[in-house]
Amino acid sequence: MSEIRPLDLQDVPQVASMFMRVLRKEPGTPSSGLVDYLSRIFLEPPGHDPEIVSQVHVRDDGSVSGFIGVIPLALTLEDRPLRAAIASTYMVEDHESDPFAGARLLRGFLAGPQDISLTETANDISTTMWRKMRGTVLADYSLEWLRVIRPAAFMIEAAARATRLARLASPLARPFDALIRRSPDEAAWSHLSPAVHGNRLLPGADIDDDEAAWLLRHFSSDFPMRPAWKEEDLAAMVVHSRSKPNYGSMVRRKVSSRSGSPVGMFLYYGNKARIGRAIQILAAPGHEGAVIDAMLADADQRGLAALRGRTQPALLNAMLGRRFSFVHSASSIVHARDTSLVAPFRSGQAFFNGFAGESWTRLIGGRFD
Amino acid sequence: MSSSTKAEIRVFIIENFLFGDETQAPGDEVSLIENDIVDSTGILELVAYLEEHFGIAIADPEIVPENFDNIARLAAFTDGKLRHGLAAKAS
Repeated sequence: MSEIRPLDLQDVPQVASMFMRVLRKEPGTPSSGLVDYLSRIFLEPPGHDPEIVSQVHVRDDGSVSGFIGVIPLALTLEDRPLRAAIASTYMVEDHESDPFAGARLLRGFLAGPQDISLTETANDISTTMWRKMRGTVLADYSLEWLRVIRPAAFMIEAAARATRLARLASPLARPFDALIRRSPDEAAWSHLSPAVHGNRLLPGADIDDDEAAWLLRHFSSDFPMRPAWKEEDLAAMVVHSRSKPNYGSMVRRKVSSRSGSPVGMFLYYGNKARIGRAIQILAAPGHEGAVIDAMLADADQRGLAALRGRTQPALLNAMLGRRFSFVHSASSIVHARDTSLVAPFRSGQAFFNGFAGESWTRLIGGRFD
Repeated sequence: MSSSTKAEIRVFIIENFLFGDETQAPGDEVSLIENDIVDSTGILELVAYLEEHFGIAIADPEIVPENFDNIARLAAFTDGKLRHGLAAKAS
């Protein structure tokens, strides 16, 4: 009879094959790099908790047909320690012919020992399933923001999603963008003019792994519900986050006040003429706008076509005046048997997504050649 | 097998998966999966319905086609659970 059981090292090659077929739509033998990474991230994740583990669905014939990758996360709510579990990779082979596997995996996950269950990458089907299990979809954490910087380059990149040949037209985009960006129109959603930044920008600097970890802890401490990372776990997560070649080169910077004290940080990945991806923006209260401006100016200076990322309620107000577009692509969802634990997420008092999620892993934007 | 259990489950399926269209009501032995009446989300709905409406507890290994693939199996599974519950209380 089919069963749900904890992931074992021997299952990982099958899970890796399914990852390529189901999620990346690239059939074929998975690379040893992917197998190694899945083993590391799901069998020995930072914050390892022997009771909060990844699960597989195994058919009668012993083959693995479903998987839910779980990453534990220690949280604290006003000094109350909590255990959270993040549902990361969630996939089922032939889910239409075997709808039991996905249902059992999710039900088993939500019945785990954790106080809070989270996901930040639920697609439409998963979102509906979480809802049926009384999960709360967090609209303020579930929007994808987009800021266009160079509109012609952005259009070419959008077309390149259908065919990479579109990039052959890139040289044509430059004069158009140069012309459009001459207009220092602060109200323009269609482009970002270098003149908009002027001399209002706060100073910034690249940061190394240690400083990134320190700033993550420092700025997330403003949230009543926040991660309680162990030092070695956060350090490991920062190392994981270094490489996202599918998104581009890493840009990790702090933003400081004129007196030199840090007021925020940002982490994004992107290359010239491409659409960059931000996975974390953190700011001291009242400095959100300045940090966002610094990030956009940096992306502009590096020649990016646009920048996108996931919303955080703490940043939404500052984004409203800065001509961001918002769309929904994947959902951030919370589930807790004690419904009072959902309240901080509903009210935007929880630090969630990014490093309090799964975006720091190489599964998002990574390459495993 | 209780005919009322079957009837109640059939009503739930018609209301929740067939938009109330009784003309599409499946026969007792018709596969809910193969006929695309129930998907993964529907399985979760069925489990929640049986647990809440009939007051039974369903363990993960019980969520399999042998118990959930058609109305007859759902009713037999539910009645078995109810009988087991009564027997446990009596002893």
